[in-house]
Amino acid sequence: MGIVREKDMNWKNLWPLLHKEVILELRQRYALSGIVLHVVSMVFVVYVASVKPSPPVWNTLFWLIVLFASINAVVKSFIRESGARQLYYYQVVDPATLLLAKMIYNALLLMVLGGLALVAFSLVSNSPVQRWPLFIGVLALGSASFSVAFTFISAIAAKADQSATLVAILSFPVVLPILLTLLRLSVASFAPSTLSGGIWPDVRNLLAVDAILVALVFVLFPYIWRD
Amino acid sequence: MWWKLTSVILLLYTILAGFLVPLKSGIERVEPNTARTGEQVTVRFYGYNTFFSRPSEVPIRVWLYYNSSYALMADVVRPINDTILEATFRMPINLPEGKPFVLLNALADHPTEGASILPIAFTLHQTPGSTQIPLDSAWTARPVEKLHPQKGFSFPYQNILYETIRNTYFHVPMWFVLLFLFAASVWYSLKYLRHPETEYDRRAAAYAEVGILFGLMGLASGMVWATYTWGKPWSNDIKQLMTAVALLIYFAYFVLRGSFSDPEKSARLAAVYNVFAFASLIPLLYILPRMFDSLHPGATGNPAFGSQDLDNTMRAVFYPAVVGWTLLGFWIADLRIRFQRLKDRTLGLD
Amino acid sequence: MARRILTFLLWVGISLPAAFAEGNRDFMRETGKIYVVVVTLLVIFLGIVGYLVRLERKLTKLEHLSKDDA
Repeated sequence: MGIVREKDMNWKNLWPLLHKEVILELRQRYALSGIVLHVVSMVFVVYVASVKPSPPVWNTLFWLIVLFASINAVVKSFIRESGARQLYYYQVVDPATLLLAKMIYNALLLMVLGGLALVAFSLVSNSPVQRWPLFIGVLALGSASFSVAFTFISAIAAKADQSATLVAILSFPVVLPILLTLLRLSVASFAPSTLSGGIWPDVRNLLAVDAILVALVFVLFPYIWRD
Repeated sequence: MWWKLTSVILLLYTILAGFLVPLKSGIERVEPNTARTGEQVTVRFYGYNTFFSRPSEVPIRVWLYYNSSYALMADVVRPINDTILEATFRMPINLPEGKPFVLLNALADHPTEGASILPIAFTLHQTPGSTQIPLDSAWTARPVEKLHPQKGFSFPYQNILYETIRNTYFHVPMWFVLLFLFAASVWYSLKYLRHPETEYDRRAAAYAEVGILFGLMGLASGMVWATYTWGKPWSNDIKQLMTAVALLIYFAYFVLRGSFSDPEKSARLAAVYNVFAFASLIPLLYILPRMFDSLHPGATGNPAFGSQDLDNTMRAVFYPAVVGWTLLGFWIADLRIRFQRLKDRTLGLD
Repeated sequence: MARRILTFLLWVGISLPAAFAEGNRDFMRETGKIYVVVVTLLVIFLGIVGYLVRLERKLTKLEHLSKDDA
């Protein structure tokens, strides 16, 4: 465990790292537009197939679009950095700070993507959502959860060669509890008011899962990092 | 060495006891299973493992009962053979609590062989237009009392399961072995992260591999059992899903191991993934039960058995069975580890 | 040899329960469904044997390898 404390978590480094992520993203505009195109084309497929999805089907389709877009968006977060640059980061910043910066950045990116998918998907098919604040809250929570899981898995997969497929395989069992809870929560937003039981047990579950994942990620990340 | 011998002895005991101990006697069905109030009906009781025609000093007593306070006793009981018995009831003129119909449990009590029960065996309908207010005294005249216990070492009789209740000792332990093996795998992955020694990595991989084997056997044997009890091999049962997800994690684990050329890197990252994925499996234990019903006993996510599903005679075989199968699993994993050690040495990797 | 045994075991493992199930559905339900227990045990047995056969084949390969070295 000695590696973790080599360089203490430095909050001062967080902001520049976050800034760097945004700059990199904007510089490689083709990557960003690739993901946006990915979302739009998946929505378009649903439109062309001219299905009138029932609420449960709408729900599943929507989250599948978000899931795959998220995987594609996050996969590159460790891959796009060359070995030399990684070595540089390793010497300058503490791994936990770097990971946190990437997770926050990815969470924001996924929220934007999720919002985009929601707008596009609602345009082509009548969305069954009745309580928008709840649904958007669920989407934000989901983006944050996906970001934690995918960022970590992509850090593992980046060390291997065929990363994109590997991320999908590795992260499926990990995000399954998150995805199932999200599906349930968004169904709750289809009704004008919450039925008995409420949404809080599910929200609590989701936050608990996130807490476990975040804790694991910070304990385990140094082991991936050193090479 | 001693634990391998223990495994063999326990599994031998499991197989012998699991197959040879008889089932308790039970009632399979009754015919006819419906009647109206006021009728005189002769009902045939079909028993399983029963000894209706075994001679006894006191005759067999037979009831159709609603609950502990309302019961109808048969006037005439005539055993035809060991498994068929005819009981003649004079049905009362009205039903308790003014109900339009009641579901009755069938009960046959043999003085030496003991009592057997079939819940919800018989429907008694109220004949329209004849509901008198005072309840027929037949309901309370001869209550269920002084039942004889079934003696001897035997497994419980359950109506759909029949003899397949013995699968408890062969199918159910697979899940336990899988859990223990995967836990051992994670344990060695953690040890590897602490001290990166090839031996720990070998162990983690071997336990995961044998865990997958037991998971597959658990799924396959469960599908055979489910076909003949639940009616279909796969019914999105939570335990089936949990096993499937656990297997997916370890398939992914082996894909990950295979995608590195550097063995040290492969071992380290696989260990990280093993810990990460196993820990993230735990929330699933809380989340899945809220979404999927379980047909398994001790349902709603409880990995253990309810007390009514596993009586003392079954415990006497089930716990040794779990220990025996687990030791066998670790034995096989041990062979795998020793093979890998030899291979690594031969190839000069260790 | 090992391959032939494996093929045979696979054949037994697949065709026997299938024959029981397809050809005579009631056979499995006879005598209190006891044959379900038999098939369950058979599945587990074949699973373990299959794994051991696979391990043995790997071992044979390793033996050849170390023989070549020596």
